Amino acid sequence: MLKLENLTVCYGAVTALRDVSIAVGEGELVTLIGANGAGKTTTLKAISGMLPLAAGTITFDGRKIGGATPRQILALGIAHCPEGRRVLPQLTVRENLEMGAFLRHDHAVVRSDMERIFVKLPRLRERVMQVAGTLSGGEQQMLAIARSLMSRPRMILLDEPSLGLAPNITEIIFEIIDDIRRDGTTVLMVEQNALAALDMCDRCYLLETGRVVQSGTGDQMLDDAHVRRAYLGG
Amino acid sequence: MNGVMLGSTYALLGIGLTLVFGIMRIVNFTHGEFYALGAYMAYLFVAQLGVNFFAAILLATAIGMIVGAALEFFILRRLKTTDIDSVMLLMIGLWIAMQNTEQLIWGGVAKLIPSPFAQQPLVFGPVSVSPLKVFVLVTAIVLLIAFHLLINHTRLGLAMRSTFQDRDVASLMGVNVGTIYMATFALGSGLAAVAGALLGPIFLVSPTMGDLASLKAFAIVILGGLGSTVGATIGGFVLALVEEFGSGYVSADFRDAFSFLVIVAVLILRPQGLFAPKERVG
Ligand SMILES: Nc1ncnc2c1ncn2[C@@H]1O[C@H](COP(=O)(O)OP(=O)(O)OP(=O)(O)O)[C@@H](O)[C@H]1O
Ligand SMILES: [Mg+2]
Repeated sequence: MLKLENLTVCYGAVTALRDVSIAVGEGELVTLIGANGAGKTTTLKAISGMLPLAAGTITFDGRKIGGATPRQILALGIAHCPEGRRVLPQLTVRENLEMGAFLRHDHAVVRSDMERIFVKLPRLRERVMQVAGTLSGGEQQMLAIARSLMSRPRMILLDEPSLGLAPNITEIIFEIIDDIRRDGTTVLMVEQNALAALDMCDRCYLLETGRVVQSGTGDQMLDDAHVRRAYLGG
Repeated sequence: MNGVMLGSTYALLGIGLTLVFGIMRIVNFTHGEFYALGAYMAYLFVAQLGVNFFAAILLATAIGMIVGAALEFFILRRLKTTDIDSVMLLMIGLWIAMQNTEQLIWGGVAKLIPSPFAQQPLVFGPVSVSPLKVFVLVTAIVLLIAFHLLINHTRLGLAMRSTFQDRDVASLMGVNVGTIYMATFALGSGLAAVAGALLGPIFLVSPTMGDLASLKAFAIVILGGLGSTVGATIGGFVLALVEEFGSGYVSADFRDAFSFLVIVAVLILRPQGLFAPKERVG
């Protein structure tokens, strides 16, 4: 479904990604793991059109999408839920969700989609008129994910959805992600917690200083000596 | 009455400036020149071309918006840098260029815009008001309400507020940030132009009128808190009332000095503006 081939991305003189190749199949949940600064966020930003490519290609459904704008990428069906929640702090919960559906014009369906989200996440319904900046961290993360879903994406890019959340909230977030993939949406997720990432994914890529150094199914990666030593503490 | 009438037009002027600053992070020194442009266009259409007064105000506003949109599209958008100093220098250059163009076309002598309203005041019991000023007040209030509806209850307004709060996230939601910038600059310029076209017939039109308008707009924006349109609306009324009462009780000669006083006082006492930043809407 999504294919990155020999991707190189630079910030000025700094090369953040070098020759990265990643593939995500329809309906898969693929995770990206790696240390701080490995290039995980950069990879997602390159896919969603936030960064220009220095070299390489990105194809989605066989179509080259390198160089497209974030708006065009979203219209093709890829939603990006960025690192650090990034809810729109002075907009209400409802307005944040409306922003997620910004490109849609089927307003009646948008309303019923919002209703479905409220059924799954009643905490958001209770706070629908509250400005998003006053939500708790966990609630903000739920809102950020829900907002991405409002575009009805075929694929969602999630950047560290569990960052800074308490274990019980993290569990709720992971359940939401499980739900998303059970609904048939393809997921590419960056996750710091390597054990959780390997546990829930179909396949995983390990990034180190801008390169893919290892990839495989969750079980293969769990058994890999290098992965165990460097990322699973033994 | 005078104060409220002035306040309503100052509010238009102020929200135009705060909008451009809040959304585009541009300190818009050309703002006052759009105010002058609005006044000169009203003069051109009414006095020189004999167009209907009301149509002329509408045309002046539209031209302000078009020139604003063009300035964004052909100049600001082409900038390779977003460095605040370079942008500020550019804006100062444009300010001087616009002012000199006005002087070149219309000369330095102040112009009068004739209005179709009767000269004698309407008398309501103890108060008497000029019909022209009533027209200006009503029009400005209608525009203020329309502006707040636009910002808070339309798709464009939602996109503008989102861009104001987080430009990257807005673009990830599918907002075309370039279009929002153009709309913002056009709207901000149109607000300045309509304020100029409305006040033009009350005062005289001269090439340097934009300088004072810019200064007052900055005073209003600082008063209301940078980027807050609600603050700028209230700030416009506050500044006008300070001017009115100041010139009434202190001295009319100092009328325009009150903007400076307001800027200095606010920066010393309450640099975040008089109105809480949580009221920011765009
Ligand atoms: N805007 C930027 N300008 C310059 N360098 C950047 C920029 N953003 C990221 N980098 C650099 O690119 C590299 C990859 O960064 P990236 O944000 O992709 O890492 P990451 O894997 O997401 O890390 P983390 O786990 O901390 O989020 C880092 O060395 C970082 O310093
Ligand atoms: Mg990151």
